[in-house]
Amino acid sequence: MILLALADPGRVARGQAIGPGFELERAGRYADAASVYFTTVRGDPTNIPALLGLERTLFVLNRMPELLPLVQTARARQPDSPALRSLELRVYAALNQPDSLEAIARRWAASAPRSDAPYREWGLALADRRMWAEARHAFLTGRRALGGDGTLAIELAELEQRAGNWEAAAAEWARAVTRSPDVGPNAASQLADAPAPLHDRVARVLTAPSVSARARRIGAEVLLTWGRPTEAWAAMQPTLTLPDSEAAPALRRFADLAGVLTSPEGHRVRGLALARWADMVPWSLGARARAESVRELLDGGDKVAARRVLEAHSDSNGIAQAALIQLLIADSQLDIAEERLSAAPATLTADDRAALRLALARARVARGELDRAAAALDDDSSVAAIAQRGWIALYRGNLKSAMDAFRAAGPYALDRAAATDRTAMMAMLQRIQEESSPEVGAALLTLARGDSVAAIAALRRAAARLPEQGGRLEVLLLAGQVAAQTGGDQEPTAIALFDEIVRAGGEGAAPPAAELEWARLLVRDGRSAEAIPHLEHLILTYPNSAFVPEARRVLERARGAIPKS
Amino acid sequence: MKRRDFVRSVGRTVGLSVGASLFGFRPTVRPSVSPSLLVPMDDAQTDHLKAYGLTYRAIQAGLKAEWLLNYRGGSFLIPDLDALRRDAALNGIRTEPVDSAMTTVRGEIEANNMDAVPLEKAPKVAVYAPPNAAPWDDAVTMVLQYAGIAFTKIWDGEVMNGGLKDFDWLHLHHEDFTGQYSKFFLIYSGMSWLAEMVQRNSDMARRLGFQTVPDLKKAVARSIRGYVENGGFLFAMCTATETIDLALAAHDVDIAATFADGTPLDADADAKLDWSKAFAFTGGHIEPNPLVASFSDIDGHQVNGGARRQPLGAFKLFNFSAKIDPVPTMLMQDHRQVIPDFYGLTTSFTRNRLKPGVTILAEEEGAPWVKYIHGDLGKGTWTFFGGHDPEDPQHQIGDPPTDLSLHPHSPGYRLILNNVLFPAAKKRELKT
Repeated sequence: MILLALADPGRVARGQAIGPGFELERAGRYADAASVYFTTVRGDPTNIPALLGLERTLFVLNRMPELLPLVQTARARQPDSPALRSLELRVYAALNQPDSLEAIARRWAASAPRSDAPYREWGLALADRRMWAEARHAFLTGRRALGGDGTLAIELAELEQRAGNWEAAAAEWARAVTRSPDVGPNAASQLADAPAPLHDRVARVLTAPSVSARARRIGAEVLLTWGRPTEAWAAMQPTLTLPDSEAAPALRRFADLAGVLTSPEGHRVRGLALARWADMVPWSLGARARAESVRELLDGGDKVAARRVLEAHSDSNGIAQAALIQLLIADSQLDIAEERLSAAPATLTADDRAALRLALARARVARGELDRAAAALDDDSSVAAIAQRGWIALYRGNLKSAMDAFRAAGPYALDRAAATDRTAMMAMLQRIQEESSPEVGAALLTLARGDSVAAIAALRRAAARLPEQGGRLEVLLLAGQVAAQTGGDQEPTAIALFDEIVRAGGEGAAPPAAELEWARLLVRDGRSAEAIPHLEHLILTYPNSAFVPEARRVLERARGAIPKS
Repeated sequence: MKRRDFVRSVGRTVGLSVGASLFGFRPTVRPSVSPSLLVPMDDAQTDHLKAYGLTYRAIQAGLKAEWLLNYRGGSFLIPDLDALRRDAALNGIRTEPVDSAMTTVRGEIEANNMDAVPLEKAPKVAVYAPPNAAPWDDAVTMVLQYAGIAFTKIWDGEVMNGGLKDFDWLHLHHEDFTGQYSKFFLIYSGMSWLAEMVQRNSDMARRLGFQTVPDLKKAVARSIRGYVENGGFLFAMCTATETIDLALAAHDVDIAATFADGTPLDADADAKLDWSKAFAFTGGHIEPNPLVASFSDIDGHQVNGGARRQPLGAFKLFNFSAKIDPVPTMLMQDHRQVIPDFYGLTTSFTRNRLKPGVTILAEEEGAPWVKYIHGDLGKGTWTFFGGHDPEDPQHQIGDPPTDLSLHPHSPGYRLILNNVLFPAAKKRELKT
């Protein structure tokens, strides 16, 4: 009741009058809807909803000329109504009368000399008719009349984009963003859609020496979106030499956008941006950002930059300490890292401490220092440490202890890839009857240390000491997989190993797995026709193998029956 | 065996079939003497889509097969041969050897709303698609490829030069036969794929002596109609369904926007359309706005129609009598009766725009539209299925292709494959 009493009775009546028109329009009965709107306008000539309804329905019915006199009457009664002025322009555009349209627009502009609305509506009416040149003329006329480089820049940018002139669109977005920073996100999002062949040209426009810092920052964002982080940072950096109030939020946005990229370059650039951002924000925020920056720089392989960040801020903060020790480990300065870790201040969190111990142990393993790796883990009883102890036991050749540790660690220690690695190793170990095999351990340590070629030879030697159905095929399979991944000269070795396993056959999982790997290798080398018989043999010989579904999938791809996704 | 003969005889013998047993006529079930493999098509099947390919390859190799309509989801019976077992094993298709049990199966078929239809000749399949269209652009080519059914791509040049006569079954890619590039011309202006589409179509029109692309497409639509009249099987999805009828009805009327042919559409187009030339629809109203990627009010869902867009529901397959109406029964064999709907530029067909005599195969109950329709024209038949991709309900331009190995039991894709095998069915021999 209160709401009704407060409402404008005239507006309520207007809404009720055209309600049936909306319903008819929704049902696709345009002629009937138009009749309702006509009736309404006859009683209320300035009823804008009804006039807009007529604009929609008469266009569909190809009867736009009928609307013109009604709009002219309404506009004469309410000459200050922008809605009626705009409608009048659109009707002239629909009637394809550009001369009259221009005259009407200029008349409106004369009555509102400081408004850009007449030019905007004039241009938009023409743009909707795909009359690009005429629309551009309208907007530029407005820009000249009103002055200001960025006047109607958004409209011009969108026009150029619709017309496929992406460079011109970029130039207009640059003007628009220089005039008003609020349009920045929209500008970047729009320009990100530019066709790939035009990326370089659009980037050149946005990063030219003459453009404003705001435009350059848009250029940097667009380059990031296109997956070109290094160029993006090169575009962004010059805008930071004399930081303005928008620099910090722009950098943060840039760093967030870079976070989407998974390439080393993406990490590196995000690290650089975070480091700069850290210098611009309060201390507490900055310290965290700096630590994150170091991690990103290390992920991006830029140890020099990471060190520079840490050295510039060598405070006793725990986050920075953790990052510094991480950097030392990455830099293979393990003794110093160990020292710092044992002397680390109480500000280092337990999680950070555990993660650093694990990283140190891994780094020791990579050097073949198994005792020191075990010592690095200290008395850590976490599942991650148990899993790592399992690997150390394995490399010492103590297969049973390794199995026990992997079982105790369970499937959730560390990430999924690590869990998968442990499961695959357990599958191999359970085929080996012996509790101890220093040869297998040494071969796996060689592999863990990254010497693939030596590891392949060592694995073959270790396999030779095992019974054929007691782990030999599984160890050979691992050697074959390593050889296949290494590629190049090792591919013939891989194929020879797979062949040996397939010929041996038997009950274990190795023969079908080897045949699948063999086929994958052939597909990868573009020899799909040779892969097909292997896949068919696998499916028909081992119908109950867990590898059959994947073999069918590879077979489909080899035949070209399913798309690459 | 001519497919048109089969269709005609089945169509004419509806009444006879009802009373067949009165004359002692056993219309379909003939005991097989050789060992057979049953390809179950109920939930026991491990790859429904590839099962069609197995059956197709069997008949392509000159073997006899049977389609056991409504028996375990529309199962197939194929000879028990090593080669077919191998094919099934490689493709992950479940088969079950049947010998003595077959007598029980045939008894069950005889006693229920089921039938056994012999499949004899693998139809030659053509897909109407532009030369650059990847197989993954279109649900039919995707499923043919996945199932391992061979097909030939043809386009305007082949159609206008009489190439259709070499094929038994024609599928229409989601072509816009109004010649308006799916009305994407304005919406996707500046996109390279659109520019290429425009260029290719314009070149083809010029090469074949047509002034405009809409003129060319109308001529192609007429050729396709002629193909069906002469006994061809036509299957269309998505935009092709609606626009081929619009193109046929508009043979003397300009229904194309200015961007397509340089002239505005005829202001009185609706009144001038001649629906007698169309396959399925009548009385439709053209969508005149070139900025709205919708063609007419034939489509019930109006996916690009702004406020007119309707939400997706689910459609239900009709249950026909297998012994009386084998043709629609074949087209509807499925292990699911209710299937989630999926959008296309043309998603569905408004009921009040269907011509009398059109057979509705699937509909959304209570909705003013239907999904899947079938009819005869001359000596041939046509089937229209709304929507773009049964496993990608909201398909958008630029979406990654559907990987059918992730949807081996797709009930929507089964409907497409029913259409491919349908022309392989043998005419029933009638004793009169």
